[in-house]
Amino acid sequence: MKTNCSHQPDCLKLIQRILDKEASAEEEARFLANKDQCLPCQEGHELELALRKALKTSCHSKCPSSLLESIRSKISSIILLILLLIPLFCWFI
Amino acid sequence: MSTEIDTAPALTESQARALFEKEFVPHLDAMYNFALRLTNDEDDAHDLVQDTCMRAFRFIGSFEPGTYAKAWLFRILKNNFINDYRKKSRGPTKVEFEWVEQSFAGEDDPEPAFQADLQAETVNEMLGDEITSAIQALPVDFRMIIILCDLEEFSYEEMAKILNIPIGTVRSRLHRARAMLKETLASYAMKKGYKTDMLSA
Repeated sequence: MKTNCSHQPDCLKLIQRILDKEASAEEEARFLANKDQCLPCQEGHELELALRKALKTSCHSKCPSSLLESIRSKISSIILLILLLIPLFCWFI
Repeated sequence: MSTEIDTAPALTESQARALFEKEFVPHLDAMYNFALRLTNDEDDAHDLVQDTCMRAFRFIGSFEPGTYAKAWLFRILKNNFINDYRKKSRGPTKVEFEWVEQSFAGEDDPEPAFQADLQAETVNEMLGDEITSAIQALPVDFRMIIILCDLEEFSYEEMAKILNIPIGTVRSRLHRARAMLKETLASYAMKKGYKTDMLSA
């Protein structure tokens, strides 16, 4: 197995595009066929996967229910304002 | 006559309300999370999401049902952040933004100087707090693109629209952002390693 890869920067870009679902099926197939022969590619692939997993598990927060309620009530007041303004506007002209 | 009013035109009250519940509400968690990562402050994130929703509601008439509401909302949120909150929270940072745009404008830029020495196992062992603080330590444009891509799974094309940058810039900025994140995590791992060495000594 290769322990050194001269195309590593390019391979890394390809790995990222594959995981971002932006690579073509051919590119993906070519990478998967070569991956077993290349240690830096395997490690790079694992690292990118680990990073995504870590981000997904640690960087999410839920919208507080108070925020949703406050948005709903603001929208209600806007609607009320429009309902009042339109007849007033029509009445003036 | 109602065209004189710029708020939620062409839709009746119940239509607008239903559209809001159906198209906006499912994305509120993601929007709040994005806002929180950008502002790093719960109150600011609250205001940012609320302003974004009110702005989106004002233009709800221009939203085409069936198109991807999430990308539309994220674009409004990001513009709102750049225009208001960034100025408010950290003073003028236009320089930083322009610097990023100029330095990372093309795909053919030289590679980052080195790839950080970081292993998947090290990342797996890291605490959630270390990951979040590494994300918060990134310049905001890099933080933004990593969240849009790795957390929200927007396509490059959607990110180009949300961020208003060419698709080539999306690719190169993403690549750099990830290199910088790895570098930060590698430095955390090293510090941690030093600590354990010191403790065992």
